Amino acid sequence: MTVWTPTDDGYADLSSHDAFVNGAPHNTFARLRREDPLHWTEYDGGQDFWSVTRHADIAAMNRNTEVFSSARGIRMEDQSYEEYLARRTFQETDPPEHSKTRMKLMKAFSRTTMDQYEEDIRRICADILGDVLDRGTFDATKEIARQLPMRMLGRIVGLPDEDLPWLVEKGDALIANTDPDFTAHVLDKLDTDEFRMMPFNSPAGAELYAYAKELMAAKDKAGDTSGVLHMILQPAKDGSVITDTEFRNFFCLVVAAGNDTTRYSIAAGIQAMCHQPELLAQMQTGEVWDTAPDEIIRWATPALYFRRTATRDHEMHGKTIREGDKVLYWFASANRDETVFDDPFRVDLVRSPNRHLSFGQGGPHVCLGMWLARLEVRVLFQELAKRIQAIEPAGPHKFLRSNFVGGIKELPVTVTPA
Amino acid sequence: MRVTWKTTERGEITAEVAEGQSLMEAAVANDVPGVIGECGGCLSCATCHVYVAPGWLERTGRVEEFEDAMLDVTAAERRPNSRLSCQIEATPELDGLVLEVPDA
Repeated sequence: MTVWTPTDDGYADLSSHDAFVNGAPHNTFARLRREDPLHWTEYDGGQDFWSVTRHADIAAMNRNTEVFSSARGIRMEDQSYEEYLARRTFQETDPPEHSKTRMKLMKAFSRTTMDQYEEDIRRICADILGDVLDRGTFDATKEIARQLPMRMLGRIVGLPDEDLPWLVEKGDALIANTDPDFTAHVLDKLDTDEFRMMPFNSPAGAELYAYAKELMAAKDKAGDTSGVLHMILQPAKDGSVITDTEFRNFFCLVVAAGNDTTRYSIAAGIQAMCHQPELLAQMQTGEVWDTAPDEIIRWATPALYFRRTATRDHEMHGKTIREGDKVLYWFASANRDETVFDDPFRVDLVRSPNRHLSFGQGGPHVCLGMWLARLEVRVLFQELAKRIQAIEPAGPHKFLRSNFVGGIKELPVTVTPA
Repeated sequence: MRVTWKTTERGEITAEVAEGQSLMEAAVANDVPGVIGECGGCLSCATCHVYVAPGWLERTGRVEEFEDAMLDVTAAERRPNSRLSCQIEATPELDGLVLEVPDA
């Protein structure tokens, strides 16, 4: 049994958030991979853009940062130069500038550093699952998937537990800024112009900034130099330090990016378990854990796309990408590319090799938190599989209204505890 | 030119490598276990870490600033002969090179 069948007619409007409310329009992506792998996509909200849908093309373009730059914005929405300067993080830079910032953070997010959190994560999972599984029927996104990344964010950034729900609410308002369930300032529906200098065009950015400033002042006073926020404030090798604006944006990025991506990976994995009952038994053998996290993360593809901007004309598939054109790498499509993945619409927990692009692999912007994400996913499913005999849907699941973040926001399930 | 990777999982793997290709790309193309290259050779991931066999290190070239920083965050311990193989380009002088792939 396949876990989820796309229902779009093959001609979905990729620029529309509404085209993603039943999940990513995979019939459209499949057609584009086949017929029009470099697709000129019309966009009512701004300048039209190119959609790249094949795995091989994205992998090749992603490392070509001289032609395809991140420094003009990474979402499909257009940005003026002033907006770009006001809102940018190191996500919106190219090497070598990007590398300079990244070097300050590499150690904090390295595999070795992350591995030290395993027992912490296991304890948090035990705590989360211990409370909820006995209830039998519940929303797995809200009660499980949302909980673990939120609590780990607190550990990694060094935040008090009692502040976490507020922070995650603000982080959701930033990144799910196209879904009315998460923000009153829906990006494509309201006039968000007054916030256009804020991270993600959202007033939540200002609130998060105020919070971060207070937090750092308190940490300074206490002589506390732990956590990634302290690291980013340190001068680079050449003596340069980040500005207040860049610090604000970095904090917003950590709160937003570290949260929803892992949340929606976990949610997608649980949804897969509901529809492919053999997955639970495979997990219980204990023999899938080297490969299962990446497969779950491939299946989820929480970052549906990232955008680049051409710095010069570029020929491809008999067409010309012009200087200044926006180019979208649809990771969601690459991760279902039948020329790379056998049976891409099945979750295969022992898939190997698994060259998915959920972390933006193949380029300098490869996800900084990928080792944490894999670890959280592995430990969560290990602990879940230990504690249940069965899991099934308790109603239809609902996707986020967003063509940028692929996520199941409501996932009613019924479990039978072991 | 030919390169040999010594791995725990699959023993020695020897392959013909085209001039100009990076040794990370060559390893990935030959399914050498333990060389992943998640960032495509952009010095953002440190997943193509290798130990260069005795006698070959100088010929593999200089370790630049960003590689040096990334070598501090590899999964396996850094040794004096550690390199990120994405930064080593296949040249005729490296014919016969042997690289040990650390266990992650």
